[in-house]
Amino acid sequence: MAVMVCVITSPAIVGLDTATVQVEVDLRPGLPAFAVVGLPDAAVQEARERVRSGIANQGYRVPPVRIVANLAPADLRKAGPQYDLPIALAILAGAEQLSPSAVAGVGAAGELALDGTLRPVAGTLAMAEHAARHGWRALVVPVQNAAEAALVEGETTIIPVGSLREAAEVLAGERPVPIVAPAPWPPDVRNDVPDLCDVHGQPAARRALEIAAAGMHSLLMVGPPGGGKTMLARRIPGLLPPLTRDDAITLTRIHSVAGRLPPGQGLMSRRPFRAPHHSISAAGLVGGGRLPQPGEVTLAHLGVLFLDEVGAFQPQVLDALRQPMEHGVVDVVRAMASARFPARPLLVCAGNPCPCGHADDPGGRCVCPPGRAETYQARLSGPVADRIDIRIEVPRVDSAALIEGVPDEPSSAVAARVEAADARRIERGQQYPNARLQGTALRKAVSLDGNGRRVMESAMTRLGLTARGFDRVLRVARTIADLDSSRKVGESHLLEAVGLRAYRSLG
Amino acid sequence: MTLSTADVCALALLAHHLGRDLQRAARRAGGPRSLLTASDDVFCAALGVSGAGRARVAGVRRQVAQTDAEAVLKARGITAIGAGDGRASPLLAQAFDPPFGVFTTAPGRCAEAWDGRRPVIAIVGSRRAGVASTAFAASLAAGLVRRGAVIVSGLARGVDAAAHRGALDAAGTTIAVLGAGVDSSYPRANRALRKRIDAEGAVVSEYWPETLPAPWRFPARNRIVAGIAHAVVVVDAAATSGALITADFAVELGRPVLAVPHPPWEAGGAGAVNLIATGAAVCRGVDDVVDEVPHPGWTDLGGAVPPTELEGTAARVFDRIRTCPGRLDELVSHLSLEAREVSAALAELELAGLAVVDAQQRWLAQPTH
Ligand SMILES: Nc1ncnc2c1ncn2[C@@H]1O[C@H](COP(=O)(O)OP(=O)(O)OP(=O)(O)O)[C@@H](O)[C@H]1O
Ligand SMILES: [Mg+2]
Ligand SMILES: [Zn+2]
Repeated sequence: MAVMVCVITSPAIVGLDTATVQVEVDLRPGLPAFAVVGLPDAAVQEARERVRSGIANQGYRVPPVRIVANLAPADLRKAGPQYDLPIALAILAGAEQLSPSAVAGVGAAGELALDGTLRPVAGTLAMAEHAARHGWRALVVPVQNAAEAALVEGETTIIPVGSLREAAEVLAGERPVPIVAPAPWPPDVRNDVPDLCDVHGQPAARRALEIAAAGMHSLLMVGPPGGGKTMLARRIPGLLPPLTRDDAITLTRIHSVAGRLPPGQGLMSRRPFRAPHHSISAAGLVGGGRLPQPGEVTLAHLGVLFLDEVGAFQPQVLDALRQPMEHGVVDVVRAMASARFPARPLLVCAGNPCPCGHADDPGGRCVCPPGRAETYQARLSGPVADRIDIRIEVPRVDSAALIEGVPDEPSSAVAARVEAADARRIERGQQYPNARLQGTALRKAVSLDGNGRRVMESAMTRLGLTARGFDRVLRVARTIADLDSSRKVGESHLLEAVGLRAYRSLG
Repeated sequence: MTLSTADVCALALLAHHLGRDLQRAARRAGGPRSLLTASDDVFCAALGVSGAGRARVAGVRRQVAQTDAEAVLKARGITAIGAGDGRASPLLAQAFDPPFGVFTTAPGRCAEAWDGRRPVIAIVGSRRAGVASTAFAASLAAGLVRRGAVIVSGLARGVDAAAHRGALDAAGTTIAVLGAGVDSSYPRANRALRKRIDAEGAVVSEYWPETLPAPWRFPARNRIVAGIAHAVVVVDAAATSGALITADFAVELGRPVLAVPHPPWEAGGAGAVNLIATGAAVCRGVDDVVDEVPHPGWTDLGGAVPPTELEGTAARVFDRIRTCPGRLDELVSHLSLEAREVSAALAELELAGLAVVDAQQRWLAQPTH
């Protein structure tokens, strides 16, 4: 038998970026053997078994020769089971069970089950974008990933398939290309995010949530156990303005690469809500790994990152949030590969006012020594303190309010006001939410008149407002004015913003 | 009794190195001068040291004799004011067991504060005091300052710190008496306040500047607080509070003691209530102090804070919290206002110095004197 080499391509995921991998298969006479070379990880090595069984169980024949699969370029680490499908197709083409011309210029990615059916893989959206960018003729993907792949517009034909045989037959022209409809846009917004109408009372906290959502202002909620902090935080995604399609695609790409796209969902049309446990590592929070993987702060991009019991997180873990909170990106630098991930979540933290949890209790139930509550609160926000725009108290609602259960304003009403406020920002020509206003842009967006200046001066002398605190008040006041449909930031807006700094001892 | 600076330093250094108080030894030896000049045998006998301890005492005496204490003080910018020095507090000299002298970084301001022309009022109380109590202490201090008084306290957390702060905020003079050397930074929580007092008031201590705080030094410190004051006002003290020791010293000196009434159902204020039951005057505000302390230095000027013009929501919120303090949410539901209106109004009141928020996040009207 003649020596046969067959080439098919596959996109590799590096962080959020992609690279082309050539999958070459060389069949030459010799004792039957199967090797995979080219910096494969364990999952790629195991492809040999899956590919052999998959080919056989789909009614094809594994040629009884020496098979070498080479993944090029050799200096790029190949991870995951996505190379099963391109290797199998290249073997079929090499053994002339499929015409080599049928696979020319075609890319493929997919994991094979032992019976030769396909399993979904992570990062399909990014791969489809890669294929379109590089003018590939077609990209074969598992049918479960079809919807996300179909989001990409371009010349590349997306071929969603359920099995190896289906892939081979479509490429050979023996079957029509299955049609996939892209996910509808705008999406169906009747989502299952919990609604604010479940929260009784808490007028001050509701207002703070509305302001936080309208300006993407980071929020710290302090209160006794059972006060409803967690309940409130879970309702914030439902208040945020709807995503643009571009943002939804960005989110889809991130969650797809992380292998966390809900199955069957083509497009992440909903803002994420991530609530990592306080035992999380720094790498888990901001990203890391030998092959860079996004962390929680990236998975929460454009959504909510909720740090419940924030005082229980390791200080150095919280410290790792500095770079992302400051720059909106995380750089994971590794010997094998480096990656840059977007990271602009709305940061929401919650905690008790003191170790026993009752420092706020009017009943004086707190058993902590004097001064303990202040040091505890300082530690609560410690490393993230200078990133928190709004700090509120969430007291326990009295039982009467809970029992009466008068339905309160639903999320939709608040979301409508938030969207209107956001529209005012866009009208101003401001590209980003108010929480990111700084320096001259901030001064321009908030010009103080005489009364405003007086308010800010007395806030500085009376409350010991620092320069940072000063800017925070201005940013929040800008959002309050936007909610009030006011072009100018007036005295009442500034005063309310000053008031959103409960727990003044935190500076 | 007149003691030179060198004597004051030597006595303080001896106390510092020996780790004990020399007041009793000085009385036994027939006065501080006699103690200093006594032979080692007499010195040890006065201290009550016998046997092996005597060699150590003798060693410390030699070491102190060789130390140029005045140069050390000078290098640190600290002055010793000995008893009998023209700058010493005449009131303190009348105290039982007066200190040999005091150390301070601001001798001029001390002398001016306690030269007798102005009433000196001690305000003391609980370290655990809530915001309502500390707000009262601060405004009482400010009001007394505006009537011409100097405020003395012990720089502890809670009421002490509030009294100092109130005096400084009203551009007055305040004296902090430490139970440790003036170079110690205790208590750490009050570091920022300490800086302000160093700059605008005076910190004094009878101990050598390097002396560390120790529990047994606080009662001794309280005798100085009471000693330099014309009267002591106790704001918020539990039944076992150290503030009661200060009040006791004042009673022994025959000086007025006032106490701020406290609801009897709150155990935290039992000490102040007991004082009133045993004859202390009731302090409801500045006027009660002025009435209780006859002094030519009281002024009428600036007695009243000009009433601030409040209108609209701020006026409604102020009226409510004056009679019934509450949290933001309670005010919102009681006044049937929006959260945003109430929080803006509270911020306005806070910035005008008319409202404060306590650790329970309850808003209270700030007393104005
Ligand atoms: N305002 C409210 N309206 C309706 N239900 C409430 C409210 N506050 C609390 N609850 C009920 O109490 C439960 C506990 O609230 P939640 O877990 O949010 O409190 P928490 O402040 O996060 O407490 P912890 O400090 O213990 O985490 C909620 O699941 C909810 O059932
Ligand atoms: Mg919770
Ligand atoms: Zn507690």
